[in-house]
Amino acid sequence: MFDKQLLSIPGVKKLIAKLSVLAIVQSIAIILEAVFLSQAMVLTWEQKKIAALTIPVLSFFVAFALRYLITRIENQITDKFASQASSQLKEQLLQKEFELGPAMVSNIGSGHMVTLALEGIDKVENYLNLILQKTINLAIIPWTILLYSFFVNWLSAVVMLLVFPVIILFMVILGLAAQAKSDRQYSGFKEMSNNFIDSMRGLKTLKLFGLSKRYGDNIYRVSENYRKSTMSVLKVALLSTFALDFFTTMSIAIVAVLLGVKLINGTVTLLPALIILILCPDYFLPVRDYGNDYHATLDGKNAMIDIHHILDLPSPTSQIKLHGFQNWTADSTLKVSDLNFSYDQKEDNISDANFNLKGFVNVGIVGRSGSGKSTLLNLLGGWLSPTNENGHLPFEVNGQKIDSLAQPEWQKHISYIPQDPYIFAGTIAQNIAFYKPDADMDAINAAIEKAGLERFVNSLPDKAATKIGEGGRGISGGQAQRIALARTLLDTQRTILLLDEPTAHLDIETEYQLKQTMVPIFKDHLVIFATHRLHWMNEMDYILVMEDGKIVEQGTQSELTKQNGAYKRLISEIRGDDNA
Amino acid sequence: MRKLLKHDTWIKPYLTKYKVLLFWVFFLGVLTFGCGIGLMFVAGYLISRSATHPYNILIVYVPVILTRAFGIGRPVFKYLERINSHNWVLKVTSALRKRLYTTLESSALFLSEKFQTGDLLGVLADDIDHLENLYLRTIFPTIVAYITGIVIIVALGIISWPYAIFMFVAFAIVLFFVPLASVAMRGASKEYQKSLLHQSYENLTDSTLGIADWMISGREKGFISHVRKNDPKIAKSNDKTHLFEWNREFLIKVVFAIIIIGTLLWSNLYFKGSQELVNYAAAFVMGIFPLMDAFVPVSQALEEWPMYSDSVVHLNQLSDEEKHPYVTDEKLPTPAEFQSIKLDHVTFHYQDDKNDIIKDVSFKIDKHHKLAIIGPSGVGKTTLLQLLTGALVPTSGHVLINNVDAYKLGSDSYKWFSVLDQSPFLFDTSVLNNVRIGNETATDEDVKKAIKAVGLSDYIESLPKGYDTNVKENGIRFSGGQRQRIALARILLQNNPIVLLDEPTVGLDPITENNLIKTISRVLRDKTVIWVTHHLQGLDEMNEVIFLENGVIKMEGNPKELYKNNARYRRLYAMDVGE
Repeated sequence: MFDKQLLSIPGVKKLIAKLSVLAIVQSIAIILEAVFLSQAMVLTWEQKKIAALTIPVLSFFVAFALRYLITRIENQITDKFASQASSQLKEQLLQKEFELGPAMVSNIGSGHMVTLALEGIDKVENYLNLILQKTINLAIIPWTILLYSFFVNWLSAVVMLLVFPVIILFMVILGLAAQAKSDRQYSGFKEMSNNFIDSMRGLKTLKLFGLSKRYGDNIYRVSENYRKSTMSVLKVALLSTFALDFFTTMSIAIVAVLLGVKLINGTVTLLPALIILILCPDYFLPVRDYGNDYHATLDGKNAMIDIHHILDLPSPTSQIKLHGFQNWTADSTLKVSDLNFSYDQKEDNISDANFNLKGFVNVGIVGRSGSGKSTLLNLLGGWLSPTNENGHLPFEVNGQKIDSLAQPEWQKHISYIPQDPYIFAGTIAQNIAFYKPDADMDAINAAIEKAGLERFVNSLPDKAATKIGEGGRGISGGQAQRIALARTLLDTQRTILLLDEPTAHLDIETEYQLKQTMVPIFKDHLVIFATHRLHWMNEMDYILVMEDGKIVEQGTQSELTKQNGAYKRLISEIRGDDNA
Repeated sequence: MRKLLKHDTWIKPYLTKYKVLLFWVFFLGVLTFGCGIGLMFVAGYLISRSATHPYNILIVYVPVILTRAFGIGRPVFKYLERINSHNWVLKVTSALRKRLYTTLESSALFLSEKFQTGDLLGVLADDIDHLENLYLRTIFPTIVAYITGIVIIVALGIISWPYAIFMFVAFAIVLFFVPLASVAMRGASKEYQKSLLHQSYENLTDSTLGIADWMISGREKGFISHVRKNDPKIAKSNDKTHLFEWNREFLIKVVFAIIIIGTLLWSNLYFKGSQELVNYAAAFVMGIFPLMDAFVPVSQALEEWPMYSDSVVHLNQLSDEEKHPYVTDEKLPTPAEFQSIKLDHVTFHYQDDKNDIIKDVSFKIDKHHKLAIIGPSGVGKTTLLQLLTGALVPTSGHVLINNVDAYKLGSDSYKWFSVLDQSPFLFDTSVLNNVRIGNETATDEDVKKAIKAVGLSDYIESLPKGYDTNVKENGIRFSGGQRQRIALARILLQNNPIVLLDEPTVGLDPITENNLIKTISRVLRDKTVIWVTHHLQGLDEMNEVIFLENGVIKMEGNPKELYKNNARYRRLYAMDVGE
């Protein structure tokens, strides 16, 4: 469970050195503690006066306290290291998330990403905390004690030495047996807990069909079956702890009897016998500690592997940098030629896309779901890089050929409005000033007005300083869209507007009102608008019709309507004219 | 903690369940520590006695046997204790799961509202797992340690009063005062840490979903500092907790050093004068060491209590909200006699909210009629449906089904209403079983007929396993439109007079939506239908449309007439069909 990857963490070697020194000092403290306590006990046994005990007792106290003081110091320095290292790892992970962008993150799974960055990092920290200290203790303490025991009483030391590999062997054998069984058990647990959650989620449905009452017994039965199978696993799994305990206590018992016999023979005196007896449990302590934390460390190790897996993913980047691109203007051009993108899922592919855009044109992208609208938008936003081969450069911006739009030069002129725009916990003003955090209030107010938010904002007691997002005031879907619009309007550097189904989940009235605000804004922007809602096409200068990752038709609305092709088919399907 | 436990109905009652098994758990637990102490005690005596050079090994025969017995006893008892405690806990969890289910069952129809934010059902399921750990990691070790402590004090009291009092004080520190301080300390920082963590979680989730915006904003540093806003505070609070823990552990160890020294000095004074007695000195001192194993974890165990207390609170709150169906002696109509639903000046607000969600709404739906309710989200459309089914009772006014108040139908309402909502729930079983939920007595033929009616039979028959195909968790085996059709088939089989459609097409693409609407209108021709939607498309076959805004009816009428006479309706309609 000790991972080589650990050794590459900065500062780890220094920590190992420190911990090793501390462990050596600690072993000496353990030995001294045993020696002084034994001395005191021998004096008592010899019925000496209590005053004679003073020195050994005080020395015992010091050694004992020192021993646990070292543990405390070890905890503190390890903890400091672990929290620093895990904090750095978190920083790297978040940087990576930023570089990967939306398309890649949703591929990894947003939930997984968040869980890794929070719980995963905690597990790694815990792992670092445990693994180094326990491993070093195991590597030093038993052997120092054993070495000393050889000098005190070699026969007992031989017994202790012989038991050690037996313990390890049994732990491994039983651990493996239990692992195999518990893998099967784990799927049993999943089944049980799924059944339970399934029934709870489906409770409303069961109730609507009048079945819910009877279902309770089913839950009990499944849970009881799970208990029975768990118990059969536990009976094996707990044997490994049993083996550890058994050999430890038995070796103490054997050593005690062995020493007893030697004492009777007179080959050993009381002092060394007591020392060995006290040291014996301490000799086994590190291995018991190590065994107890095995599972906690396993979790941390797996989290660390997951995190490194993400860190190793390639981020979307461009090889050829865009030069001198100031802003999208009325004369700017974007040529897209033979643009290709493929991923392991067949659905998201784009093949051989060609189109040219000039100035403040408004482009609609339409197609069935899964036809590649979002992928095309992701490529235009630079959140995905094309997978063209043989050095073909699919984009040409103002005459300069480039391989990908995944570059800050391009992205700082984009704004993006999806179905659920990004609203974070903060004030309305802060949310609007997202692209330009240093914007002044006048500019923000102007953007509020243009985005049609004025009435809403004025109706709030705190105006634009009202907190929204998590823990703040709830806002409707239409208002969220308007905040995203205001965001775009505030930053005049952003004249490229990418919209991905912004109104799909709005009711018809809200959509109507939003449209009245949006259309005038479109006039001085390059607009690329992917949607199913056909009425928007009336406002678009140019339409791309997509099917299976290909642009099957393009042109103005009137051209396409005349053509009687893919666009016409799509419209009649969406309207449901083809009476199914 | 005391207050919480006083009114608790989720932990305490179960401690008296399976009493015999529980007795064994504690008994074996105490025996385990007894053997550990016994082993060192006897070993200490054995060595001391041997050091007096008895003429024969047989003199120490009994201690020799005892060391072996204790040596074997400790692991065996520990093993048995762990088996039994897990068995007991799992038995109790089975009972708790059923209990949680039954409690939720009573208020099932409100669940979606109460449980809207977060996957609270998942949280509750986790709570049960937390209780499992509460027993195993906190309650059991603590009780066993206390029993062990009491037994020891009583035994010592018989031997020597002063020593027993000394040990009592020491035990009180280790088992009572220090753990109490830990709980207080942990309890204070826990709330704070939890709220910080919750914020971080929300913050990172939002930012991850908004990563596209962050990326084009080019503010990498801003992103990281935004999502790590709370990290320094969390780290500081953690440091404080850790520091407390390390110092506490150290303090307990020092107390043990004092116990050992006290024992040594006591034995020096008490056993003086008799070699036979003084042989026990080492025994008593050695016996202290295993005690650390039993007592040190108590602080740690109790410290975890605040982490579980939330789960205990959740579960206990739940039982307070248990609902009991309305019971009446009145003669109620049967579903076959259904004539009409009438809303008579209905006003409604929730108990904890003064704002009316529904304000003085009246309308009437006759048998076989079809009504659409339109309006932005959050205007009380779903509340209206709950009033119709009698799951909610109007604050004033009446919801009448054939002149009987809807809520009086109580637990029989499932025979009157069928509901199809945004995300119908499919169970992790076959298509056939999922549809059959509509009517358990239906034959396979009936079920297949219903599936054919909703236009799914061709597709399902083309699958390798046909009607036995598993829909998988949440029905992911099928597309959104197909899932709705399976749920629709279920409703057809249920064959109730009234069908409520609660935005069943939200989240579907328009083509799928259209086809589904057509199927719905076709198969529900003979039913009374109330359809909540936010689009106008597909409403042509409705008898009446109601526009709801802020709890009031803003516009109503027959859709064809509205189209003819109402400019606003016409404008919205035109946009909806994309003209």
